[in-house]
Amino acid sequence: MISQNVFLKRSWPMLVQCAEAHRKPRWLPVAKSKIYRIPKRPVVSEEERLELLRINNNYKTQMRAIRRFYYEEMIKEKSTKESASSEMSIRLEAEDWARCVELNEKWNAEVAAEREERRKIQLAEMEEYALAHMEVKDRELKERIEKATKEIKRQKELSETFITPENLDEAIEYAIANPTDYNYAIDLRGKKYVGTETPGSLPKDEKRTNSSV
Amino acid sequence: MTTVIKYVGRTTDFKGKTLWEIVGNLKNLGVGRIIVRSVFERYPEPSFMKIVKVETCPDEERRRVRVWVEKTFRGRKLPGLTEIYRTSYKPDYKLIPKHEESKLLTSVTNEHYFPEVILPNTIEMPPLMKKFIIKDHEKKGLELMKNLVMPLSYNNSPNRVQRIAKPGEQPTVEFTMSLGKPASPSLYEGVLHK
Repeated sequence: MISQNVFLKRSWPMLVQCAEAHRKPRWLPVAKSKIYRIPKRPVVSEEERLELLRINNNYKTQMRAIRRFYYEEMIKEKSTKESASSEMSIRLEAEDWARCVELNEKWNAEVAAEREERRKIQLAEMEEYALAHMEVKDRELKERIEKATKEIKRQKELSETFITPENLDEAIEYAIANPTDYNYAIDLRGKKYVGTETPGSLPKDEKRTNSSV
Repeated sequence: MTTVIKYVGRTTDFKGKTLWEIVGNLKNLGVGRIIVRSVFERYPEPSFMKIVKVETCPDEERRRVRVWVEKTFRGRKLPGLTEIYRTSYKPDYKLIPKHEESKLLTSVTNEHYFPEVILPNTIEMPPLMKKFIIKDHEKKGLELMKNLVMPLSYNNSPNRVQRIAKPGEQPTVEFTMSLGKPASPSLYEGVLHK
């Protein structure tokens, strides 16, 4: 603990100066007054330079050797530690592995039984659905066939009244002999109002020219 | 009118031009010419480079150029070609005029001005480390190291002029943990030194 008296009875002014306070922040450019100032190169005598070079080179060599020595020792230690612990760890790992395999097989069997049950239910459902679907389809097909046979019968009956090349002349003659006049109106009660002038009674050639014009 | 050069900023050890300033102004981009890094002129043996191949760089790298050279460093020609790209921007290259080339080439003697130096592979441990290791080995029950030395490693560089000792070879220099033999004894005058 620092007693209070140290601060009160101090003999020198307690002023902590920051070296940074005098510095230019790094991101500012060189001051205008300092742009053309070229710092002087330190003058080192040749003797001193050679001696310093030798000493520094020596120091670097020594430090490199020490660093390498301890680095290699560290690696050696690590490898021995690993090899020592590996025998134990191999046994433990094998046990753990066996336990894991057993557990996994148990889980697999459980899941397989569940899956088998589910598959059975699904299969039954699918069969049921397919049978119902087939029944519906069968019924639809039968209905369509019935419908078709009915239609065929009707058409066969109708076919007796068809105009064929054999009875074409007959039909034409019949049509000419019995002209039909559709040019009439009917009211709500269905009463016919025949027109006074029926175009159907006009000669055919004249009518064609009229319509073409 | 005389132009006054005003320098800005720090001084530099470099002297010369960037490689592109030299090579870009030469015929055939200066293939076959000889250039010199002026920093390497501090060695008494000749160091120079003969340009073999030049590749220009895109506009973003306008200060650089990719040059392959046959390098002769400290009077010894290096095998193969050396690529200069990372250092090509340094304003430290000098072109050798053609009439001086032959003089430079003939000055290569493949010999250094000093006798051959063989570097050791081991170094003695520092005194405190020796004691520490002896204690540590005793504590761990390991057998004691007979000679307390550490292996030494060196940087791999094609420019190395001193040879590393092969196994069984006697090194010519020895590194110790002490101060060693001073290079300039005049600095130690009047200093007691064991």
